[in-house]
Amino acid sequence: MKGVVLDKKVVALLGERFGVEEFPDDVPPLLDGTRHFELARALKDEIGYRLYGFCVASHWLETTPKKGGDPDPEHYEVATGLRAPGKRSTLAVWRVRLSMDEEIESLVPLFAGADWQEREQYDLVGVRFANHPDLRRLMMPEDWEGHPLRKDYAIETACPPWR
Amino acid sequence: MALAVEIPDRVDPYLDIDEYEPEADLMVLNLGPQHPSTHGVFHVKLFLDGEIIIKAVPYAGYLHRGVEKLCEKLMFTQITPIVDKNDYVSPMMNEQAINMAFEALLGVEVPRRARYVRTIEAELQRIASHLLWLGTFGMDLGGALGGGATIFMHCFRERESILDLFEEVTGCRFHYNTHTIGGNRHDITPGWADHVKQALDVIDQRIPEYESLMTGNRIFVERTRGVGVLKAELAMELGITGPMLRAAGVSHDLRRHAPYHAYDEIKVKVQTEKAGDSLARTLVRIREMSESSRIVRELIDNVPEGPICGHKPIKIATQERAQSGQAYACLESPRGELGTYVIGGGANKGASPYRLKIRPPSLHAVSCLPYVLPGHTVSDAVTILGSTDPIIGEVDR
Amino acid sequence: MKALAGISGFGGALLHGAVYGILIVTVLMTVTAWSIWFERKFSGRMQSRLGPTLVGPAGLLQPLADALKLLQKESIVPASADKALFRLAPPLTVLFALGTAAVIPFSPKVIAADLDVGVLYLLALSGLMVFPVWIAGWASNNKYSLLGGMRAVAQGISYEVPLVLAAMVPVVLSGSMKLSEIVRFQRHHGWFIAWPPGPGLLAFVLFFMASLAEANRIPFDIPEAESELVAGVTTEYTGMEFGLFYLSEYLHTLIVSAVAAALFFGGWDGPFAPGLFWMVLKTLLLFGSIFWIRWTLLRFRSDQLMVICWKYLVPGGLVLVMAAAVWVQFITPNQTATGMAPAAPSAVPAQPLFHEEVP
Repeated sequence: MKGVVLDKKVVALLGERFGVEEFPDDVPPLLDGTRHFELARALKDEIGYRLYGFCVASHWLETTPKKGGDPDPEHYEVATGLRAPGKRSTLAVWRVRLSMDEEIESLVPLFAGADWQEREQYDLVGVRFANHPDLRRLMMPEDWEGHPLRKDYAIETACPPWR
Repeated sequence: MALAVEIPDRVDPYLDIDEYEPEADLMVLNLGPQHPSTHGVFHVKLFLDGEIIIKAVPYAGYLHRGVEKLCEKLMFTQITPIVDKNDYVSPMMNEQAINMAFEALLGVEVPRRARYVRTIEAELQRIASHLLWLGTFGMDLGGALGGGATIFMHCFRERESILDLFEEVTGCRFHYNTHTIGGNRHDITPGWADHVKQALDVIDQRIPEYESLMTGNRIFVERTRGVGVLKAELAMELGITGPMLRAAGVSHDLRRHAPYHAYDEIKVKVQTEKAGDSLARTLVRIREMSESSRIVRELIDNVPEGPICGHKPIKIATQERAQSGQAYACLESPRGELGTYVIGGGANKGASPYRLKIRPPSLHAVSCLPYVLPGHTVSDAVTILGSTDPIIGEVDR
Repeated sequence: MKALAGISGFGGALLHGAVYGILIVTVLMTVTAWSIWFERKFSGRMQSRLGPTLVGPAGLLQPLADALKLLQKESIVPASADKALFRLAPPLTVLFALGTAAVIPFSPKVIAADLDVGVLYLLALSGLMVFPVWIAGWASNNKYSLLGGMRAVAQGISYEVPLVLAAMVPVVLSGSMKLSEIVRFQRHHGWFIAWPPGPGLLAFVLFFMASLAEANRIPFDIPEAESELVAGVTTEYTGMEFGLFYLSEYLHTLIVSAVAAALFFGGWDGPFAPGLFWMVLKTLLLFGSIFWIRWTLLRFRSDQLMVICWKYLVPGGLVLVMAAAVWVQFITPNQTATGMAPAAPSAVPAQPLFHEEVP
């Protein structure tokens, strides 16, 4: 991806143990969703990426490529970043692709900071995190309906009157 | 005095309070959202046994303005003034973070002169932000009508001189909108260097005075030593960076360890302390002010000649388009690692980002409260919250 | 005045007390109101800014403006508060504070009621001043006020002990609880702050700190800790009721300064000028130093406050009373208030001072 250069140890780990073959220049490498927690644990315990970075979820609507072919169904993408503190600090970033009813494993048992980031992504985008100790809304009021950052959520949606 | 609930070393923030005996009679106190010292609209629900906190539950989102959704329909140059208002105390940082991400996405080089100017502005902004923090922290401890107000007035007077410097360059005292893709919009004038040095002379003379007014004050030391100890491991798991992490003993500073702007040409001395309590954070921030002043003095006379913006000036907002690609750029703001993750290919045929996410350092700093507050009193809660330097605009966006 | 001079006995004392009492109360309330102006100017200058300047010349009419503002505000009583107690608390604070002003010797003539047990009366009323704060905290039905009230009670009753011990030192040294006697003793034998060397000064420091704690001034202002408890005990009060709390705090501070001046600094003793001038000067100097401390220091946490009281001030007070007793018994055994041979206290008639006084 742009702006982030993956360390060669991370590249080696991803290639050998997690079966990632493509490391494109403009997007983070795509990882199999079921191995998300394992990778985070390996990075934290073995290579020293102990500083929690970020968790970004995005919602992609169904698209049909112009040249023909199968349409890409509606899905989520979750990008996670971890940092190794100290000298020559680098980031390890990877993407996971989820279909609309799949859940991704929560990183809270490893990183306490994932708690609020994952709650925010659940709140705003709608991605569910399995084994999250307390998955509820963070930014919006508890009884809000809908997930604002979805692409089918109009920005002009009226908000209910304040109780 | 035995507490209703034993507080272990590593606190469990999801403690179910109803489990404990009903005679414990825990009182629930809501600190905020309207409160003189929650640094913005922030709400912490404290479960108290007498005056000792057993469990603390923070609630964020009172200041949520939907910045990320809004940015999905704005063009790149229109986003800079919106994002200014996230970390409303150090706007230079927000602008720089967002523009660095856009530059990475679009593949734009920043010329050397712009990098120097950005560094100088960032360091001056850091001094201003820490001065504001010191003033408000004194107010938290000593009262808005009391000794705290004195330090508040003095710090704000120094901050005014820095804001005057920014006004000279950009025309605004606050929320500058001076950065753009590829560089800055406003160039510095030859006379500015002298004004900067004059302002820094005054500040360099006063920072040791403020340090002694705080750390030489026995009451201050007694109220902050040992209060709010955050261990390094927990801090790293929580994603806390910046002075809070450095006060816990971890030497990690993006300016030194992952340099950007002009930081690869100078050596930044990373200030650390071992204790991890509020006193350590105070000392780290005060020393960072002196360090920033030194950096500005080193750079201000050696700003290279050249263009201030490496990209053609943006006359129409839809000029820049990115059809695809994802980028992440981060910098060291006065609170920690401020990062921006941008996915290109959004509305207006790619002139808007598809998804913009800001990684705010204050969100992680404030999420340490359930772990750090239990075991302290309500007075300490205010001290600890102040020492984490939260900016709620950044937490909620 | 001359016609009244003929009335002696209980009726005379009552009249004397009433006239002088009203005079003193009026002057004190006026001075308290203008101390608000003084504080704002002084703190402003300490923070390199001007204080109030707009209202009246140099902002001198600012207290009037503040009072008018508070008077025209609605006095809101929360629906779930204990209405009787809620309304009772603010006037009580002012009442007890003003009550202590009765025994302060402003000059040889100006004293409303020169009680034989003046010091005891003062200490008793200081103890009573904890009640209105506590009542306000309870009656507000608000957790912040409750916390503030509880802290106020803890602080108030704890700091009573060093206050009493420190006030005992001048009593032991001069042999009398009557404040005018204490002042006269100092006139003859040297101010207690300087003589006997040591115990007097330390007793003053103890008394000063304990009084600051009783008056809830910074660094001991936990009960109204603004940044933690919104406004502490006074959170739910509005309008003039809030104004009364505010006023009583300044009044209490002023009276504490006057008492300290009388007990330790010789009261109205001083050359050249009439006694009243010296008393007022000393009071105002102490008053100013209390403000100086307020605008420089941060506040203590409540448990640190308790530690200071019980671990440092109380043992210190006990030692000082012992030292004063040793001084009186062994070192200067033959002194009394007026330097005459030891005589019964009633040798000097305790009369209302419409007549010529005995210096």
